[in-house]
Amino acid sequence: MRRQAGKSANAGQDPAVIAALQAALAAEQAASYGYGVVGSHLTGAKFAQAYADGVAHERARDSLTVMITDRSAQPRPAAVAYQLPIRVASPAQAIALATLMEHQVAAAYPALVAVFDPALRAFAARRMASCAVTAARWSGHSQAFPGLRG
Amino acid sequence: MLFAAGTRHAMARGMLGAARNVRNAYSGRRLVAPTRRAVLAVAATAAAAGSASLAGCKGLAALNPPPAPGPAVLALEHSIAAEEVLVATYHAGLVAAAGHPASGLLAAVLADHRVHLAALRSRLIVPSGSRARLARTLGRRPVPLSLSSVQPQMATELAAAERAAAARLTGQLLAAPPSLAQLLASIGASEAAHAMLLGRVK
Repeated sequence: MRRQAGKSANAGQDPAVIAALQAALAAEQAASYGYGVVGSHLTGAKFAQAYADGVAHERARDSLTVMITDRSAQPRPAAVAYQLPIRVASPAQAIALATLMEHQVAAAYPALVAVFDPALRAFAARRMASCAVTAARWSGHSQAFPGLRG
Repeated sequence: MLFAAGTRHAMARGMLGAARNVRNAYSGRRLVAPTRRAVLAVAATAAAAGSASLAGCKGLAALNPPPAPGPAVLALEHSIAAEEVLVATYHAGLVAAAGHPASGLLAAVLADHRVHLAALRSRLIVPSGSRARLARTLGRRPVPLSLSSVQPQMATELAAAERAAAARLTGQLLAAPPSLAQLLASIGASEAAHAMLLGRVK
């Protein structure tokens, strides 16, 4: 789908911006899938938390999809299924997966923070903070440099 | 890396010093044969002076005073000062919270702030010419925020301080160069997580 030449024509030509958006989209798509697995192993308040966190990733995924199409690029589709980074067969393992996914999604955003577009940079910083808060809620621990290292 | 104000100034003074040494070698008071290095330096200085006059430069006196620091340097200095206040505040809070279950969390958060401070300081290169100005902004002993001595009020106050610090970083990173923006975003995210954890203290 090509937009008419106009206000977004210049922004749409920067491959580094598109690549950063696509990488963030891929991470949010994977987390949206993963929270379905997390929730299936939890009950009560923890299930409700996993559901809410999954919705947060789906919203971010949808926002990124719009940002990419607004720049005349094609959002890469999600995979049908994902290989999970850890085996999940218990509530404790589900919580470990949720924590790991939040760390991984946060790590997908520094490349977008490096973009000069202030709206994209602010969005990426907000997502890094949101992932850090959610990871800390699941694990009970904070990280000194969410998304960067450790 | 960001150079605090005055780096170019200090570098220019270094070049002046080299030129002066060369002139001394030719003053005749000492019978020193000009070394190859001195000859090359004179040639380079003459070439530089020639091109400078051709370009219509104002001359070396125009290098005074050192230029004002750029916005990225100021943002970095403010972030360093803010982290110093947080470190001092958690030091005081840990003493008051001794024996309380929250003291483990406070110690972990203090450890995060110490590495934040170290990372921010490592981004700032301080040239000799800027020491006096930096001493005014960073050399002061940081004053810890005043805290309640009982929980969960202390944790609530610390959570508010963390949220304020994260909000300030979020504002500053929008105008920062890319790599500094990434560091500020990550530190802000860490502080947002601190605020959430502190909010759960009973």
